Formats: sequence, structure tokens, C-alpha cells
Amino acid sequence: MALENLNLDIKKGATGLLGPNGAGKSTFLKTILGLIQATSGDGTVLGHDIRTEGAAIRSRIGYMPEYDALNPEMDAINQVRYSGELLGMNPVVALQRAHASLQYVGLGEQRYREIKSFSTGMKQATKLACAIIHDPELIIADEPSNGLDATAREFMITTLINTVKQGDRSVLMASHLMEDVERVCDDIVLLHKGKLAAQGRIKDLKAIDREIEIHVWGGASKLEAAMKHRGMRVRREGRVMRIAHESDDLTSDILRCASEVGAQIRRMHEYEASLEDLFLVIMENLGYEVKTSEDLLSHPINARKVDAPGHMGGGAA
Amino acid sequence: MSEDENVIPQANPMPPTQPQPIPQPQPIPQPQPIPQPQTIPVSPQLPIAETPQPIPQPQTIPVSPQLPIAETPQPIPQPIPQPALSDESEAMPMATAEAPVTGQTRMETAWGSSEGDEEYSEMASVGQTGAGEIFQQNYEPWRGELNPRWMRNWAILRHHVLGIIKKGHRPWGVPTKIFLVIVFFASLSDAGLTLLASLIGESSFHSMWGVNRDNLYGHVLGFFPRNVMYYPIVAALLVGGVISEDRLHGTSALYFSRPINRFDYVGMKYASVAIIQAIIIIFTLFLYYLTEIMAFGRGWAWIIDTFPIFLGALMGGVLLIITYTSIGLALSSVSKGKFFPGIGLLAIILGTKTLAIIVKNLFDREILYLLSPYDCLAHVGQALVSTQPTYDQYSWTWSLASLIAMNAIALYVLSSRVSSMEVTRE
Repeated sequence: MALENLNLDIKKGATGLLGPNGAGKSTFLKTILGLIQATSGDGTVLGHDIRTEGAAIRSRIGYMPEYDALNPEMDAINQVRYSGELLGMNPVVALQRAHASLQYVGLGEQRYREIKSFSTGMKQATKLACAIIHDPELIIADEPSNGLDATAREFMITTLINTVKQGDRSVLMASHLMEDVERVCDDIVLLHKGKLAAQGRIKDLKAIDREIEIHVWGGASKLEAAMKHRGMRVRREGRVMRIAHESDDLTSDILRCASEVGAQIRRMHEYEASLEDLFLVIMENLGYEVKTSEDLLSHPINARKVDAPGHMGGGAA
Repeated sequence: MSEDENVIPQANPMPPTQPQPIPQPQPIPQPQPIPQPQTIPVSPQLPIAETPQPIPQPQTIPVSPQLPIAETPQPIPQPIPQPALSDESEAMPMATAEAPVTGQTRMETAWGSSEGDEEYSEMASVGQTGAGEIFQQNYEPWRGELNPRWMRNWAILRHHVLGIIKKGHRPWGVPTKIFLVIVFFASLSDAGLTLLASLIGESSFHSMWGVNRDNLYGHVLGFFPRNVMYYPIVAALLVGGVISEDRLHGTSALYFSRPINRFDYVGMKYASVAIIQAIIIIFTLFLYYLTEIMAFGRGWAWIIDTFPIFLGALMGGVLLIITYTSIGLALSSVSKGKFFPGIGLLAIILGTKTLAIIVKNLFDREILYLLSPYDCLAHVGQALVSTQPTYDQYSWTWSLASLIAMNAIALYVLSSRVSSMEVTRE
């Protein structure tokens, strides 16, 4: 997949790289690793030109591949040490750092075991140890929690969070598990068909899909009609209704409507979209033009169209 | 904002209901397994009274025997008055739902969420996972300097070559290591016999095994089984998995996500395999020549006379190593295992030689020897050492050209395949 007109500025900290299969995530990663040449345009990673300074970039990046990248016949300590030597570390220093890295990823007691005896979680942890052995400024983690059980996944996510918070390193995390991205990252970059679909802080992007959810007892249909009459955007499923949060006094308006029609509101709370909801909203409704959080917030109405796509009978844009 | 804070006061106050006696919490008779939180059965068939009726108290949350039970009674939820229903359809959740609604959703709509149960289960979970964990995760920064390119290349070379004799480097198979040791000592047989000849002082024995034009050629290319069994098998065992296993295990990502370019990667792999072969072929040739000098006390005149022949044999050995390594690594780069490249190399070396012999015997034509790497090497080697040629139907330069073509093709395949190796997925 070729990348097209991709203008990105990734800040320090944790950033999630999202996109469906074939969106260009791998191409993007290879580009910033300096492994493929851009036919046009330019870019810098950690101050190095991606076209001419690939080796310098890779010296300062730790890459954790998605797929197996370990020799199963080697033991973990020597595999990690060798990955350090491939960066140019002295063998003695590389061995020392391999011990520290494996300890950090929770394999301190398992480091002399052959990798073929490792579980998937331990292999993922070993790959992470290989990536951080030289204390890189940027760690690229490609599907770090892929195929892990709940415990291993939790540990991997915690480790990445610690690396960002405690280690003050930056992480670029490509994952299809939105929940993991949401926990680790502050920002996301969303790619689709080689183009930038959205980028920005997750909190900001989530603001495009904020609603008030109410649970109604008695007079739900009347309340729905009353709210629509007042110009509110209401989605209803039985007693549960979600009203687009477009004005500051929305809560009062809802209560006023309920009072007028004699309906009871048993629960009312702010509904915040998950990252997965956000992903679907952006992909299905906003098209695939470049969207920053400012772009999305400037058109919040469109962002809230979460009906099924038109070809499936829905009324989405 | 907590959920309690979100609860909105009833928009339509209900008629006051008669206060109901609050039932006391039930004593726990005996430890029981944790039951599911009780839910109040709500059924569409439930007759709905015209006037508000008191709703039965929700059950107190069952407490597992493992959890600490408060001495004081659990707080009891106040009875929730049933609201006035505007019409029957509104009162029946199933009747008004426009889409399938789960029972859980209906219960939450009617009675609020069951967050109390979730808290209890969460407490039990925390107690189990926290036990016995002694691990503190501390990120240790490193402020060292990375060495330049030559050090990275040296790491690749060292990893492969030291793997033959030392644990912790490239894990060569045990059969490979054993065979290499056998061939190494077998290659020293002419040196040992030369030493023996000097010890027993038998001139005819020395003339058979000592250093001369034919024996120097034979050490590298001539004698059976060395020519077709030792060195081709050594090459096949070595080249088998050198690149193909990087594809198989995905370890190419380990190289290419580092500051290592394709040329360094393949160059160091090539050099590693060539060095191991050189230790077996060229180092033993050197030892053979040195043994003759030391054991028989050869002077400068003898050395000056024989050194060009030694150099010719050495060049023949270098050509052999280059050719076998090029073909072998090219085969390794197009596969994902070590079996095919090994067998493929042996098939090319021995198969073309066998085919050429058959054609020569049937048609008395030697031209097919040009397709055989071994015969081309032997022909060029004979010319370099100036021994009696066994290929007399064409010039040795044709064999040299054929060798160059074979190496060029193999290196082209190797470079193109290595260029296409991916860092993200193979």
C-alpha cells in the first residue's frame, strides 16, 4: 500500500497507529524506519532525514515486530544480547543491558531458557526487551498484545505505560485492539487507504461523539417526540435514549421535556464513545479526507451520524 | 462523575406510598458457593396494577463465605415506588422496544444498575491476583555510545563463526558440528602422513603423501572422497539455514530494524560461511605445506620452487569456497528451511557432474562439464597448479568463464532475494 499526501507530526509520548488491514500501517512503519524511499516529499524522525539517514534513525528507534522475530534455538539472554550487538553495542555492555531489559519485561528468572519453550506472552516480552536494550528514544510496537492471554496482555500494556511514564520514552503503537491503544496512548493517528483519516488527542477526538444517555420510565415516546420537537437529536432503543450533546444546558432541556410530558427519567449520564466507536464513526461517516481533531470538532453533527451505512438501509451520511 | 450523581430526580413525583416494613437481612445459615446476584423476575405477563403497588424489596447481595462479612446489617435499598404509567404500551418494555433489548438492559432501566455486585466480585479478584507477586518494574536508562558500522558487521560474523564452537551464538545443529570436525581432521590426513613419513624415513611413503604438485591440487580438488563428499557436504550443511532460517523465524526483522543494510547483512553471512569452509580447506592446506617444511627441514630454495604451486592450490580452494557459497546462499535465500538449500546444492554439484560423465561416456563429448561447478573448478585448478589436465577437449578459460557466470547468476539471485526480505512480514 502506497502512502499519499501523508503529513504527520507525532509528538513525544504514546501515539496509537490505527487503521484497517491494507491501510498502510506497515508501509508507514517501514518509511519511518528508513527502509523504503519516499518517491516524493520528505520527513524527519528524531531529527534525521528519512531518505538519507535510515541507519541513524534505526539506531535511535526500538522496533518490536508483530510477528515472530526470534531464533527459537537460542536462549533469551543471548538473543537479546545479540540484538544489542547488532546495534553496535560492545558484547559485554550488550550482555549487561540484556539482563536489565529482560528483568524489566518480567523475564528475569526465565532468561536462560530457550525461546522455543516460551509462551506467546514471553516471546512478546523478549521482543520488547530486544527493542529497548539500547534505551531508544522511540519504541515502535507493532501489535504488542496480539495473541496474548489476559494476564500477559495486562502486563504488556502496563510495561508500555511504564516505559512512557517512568522511562520518559515515546511509543508508537500499532494495534487493532482499541482498548489497549486507549490505555497506553494519548494521541492516535488513523490511516485509511494510505491516507491520513484522523489524528489528534484521543480525548479531543472523543468529543465529537458525546451524548447524554437517559433511561426513561413512562411516556418514552412522548418524551422522544418532545425532545425532537425542541430540536434535539435523539436516538432511541426502547427505554434507552441518547441525545446529542450539542448545548451546555441540554440536561435542563431534557428534564424540562420530561416534566412536560410526565415521563420519569430513572438514569441520566454522559455517554462517552469508546475508541472503537470513534474509529467506526470516522471511517463510516467522515470520509477519508485528512481530519485533525479541530476539523472533526468543527463539524460535530456529522460526526454523530452513527446509523448503518446507506447501502445497508441506514441513513448515514 | 459517579453514577449516583447522575441519577436525575423523578420528573413526575409519584403519589405517596404507604411506608412498608423493612425486612431484616437474612442470616447466613451456612457457607455456600457464590450465587449469581438475585434479580427480580420481571415478565411481560406480569399483571400491572392500576394503582401503584409497593414493589418487593430487592434481595440483599449474597456474600461469599470467603469475604469478610460486616457485623452491621447491610444497607437496604429503599422501596422504589412504581411510577404511574401513561398507557399500557409504555408500561411494557417489550411492547415499546423498537429493537431487541436484553434482559439486563430492562432490569437496569427499571431498577438501576447492579453496581453493588460488581464491587464485591472486584474485591475478590484483587485479593487473588495480588498474592505472592514480588516484582518491581523499574526502567533503567542507558547513556552509552553505539559503536560504528564495523562493530555491527563484526557482531554478525562473530555470531555465525563462534556458533560452531561456542554456546550463546548461532545454534548450528549437532550433526553439522560433528561433520565439520570429522572433515577437518580428515583434511589433515595428508599432513599427518607427511609427518609420519618424516618420522619413519621411508622415501617411497613420502613421495606418495609429501608436498608436490599433484598432492597440493588433490588436497583441494582432487582425491576421492574429499572432492565430491567432504567439501560439497560441508558447504551444503553450512549454507542450508543461514538465510532461509531468517525467513522462517522472522529474524530478518531483527537485522533490518537495526542500522544494518542489506549489503552488510548478506556480506557478513557470506563471509561467515566462507571463513568456516576456509578453516577446513585452506587452513589445513597451509598446515600440510608447513608440516613438509618443518618435518623435512626444507630451505628457502625449496620454498621458492614450490610456493607458486601452493598459491595455485590456495587460489583453487578460494574459488571453490566462493562458488559453493554463492550457489548455496542463493538457494538458501529462495527457501524457508535448511533442507532444500542443502539438498539443492548437492544435487547441482553431484548431479551435473554425473550427467557430464554419462554424456562423455556415451558420446565422447566433454562439453557438459561446463555445467558442472565441480568440473569447472577442477579444470581451472589444474591450470593454476599446472598439473596434468584431465579435460582436454576445451580450454580451461571456458571453465573459468563458466564459473564466473555461475557465480554471477547466484549472486544476482541472492541479492535480489535479500533485497525483498521484509522487516514487517515475510
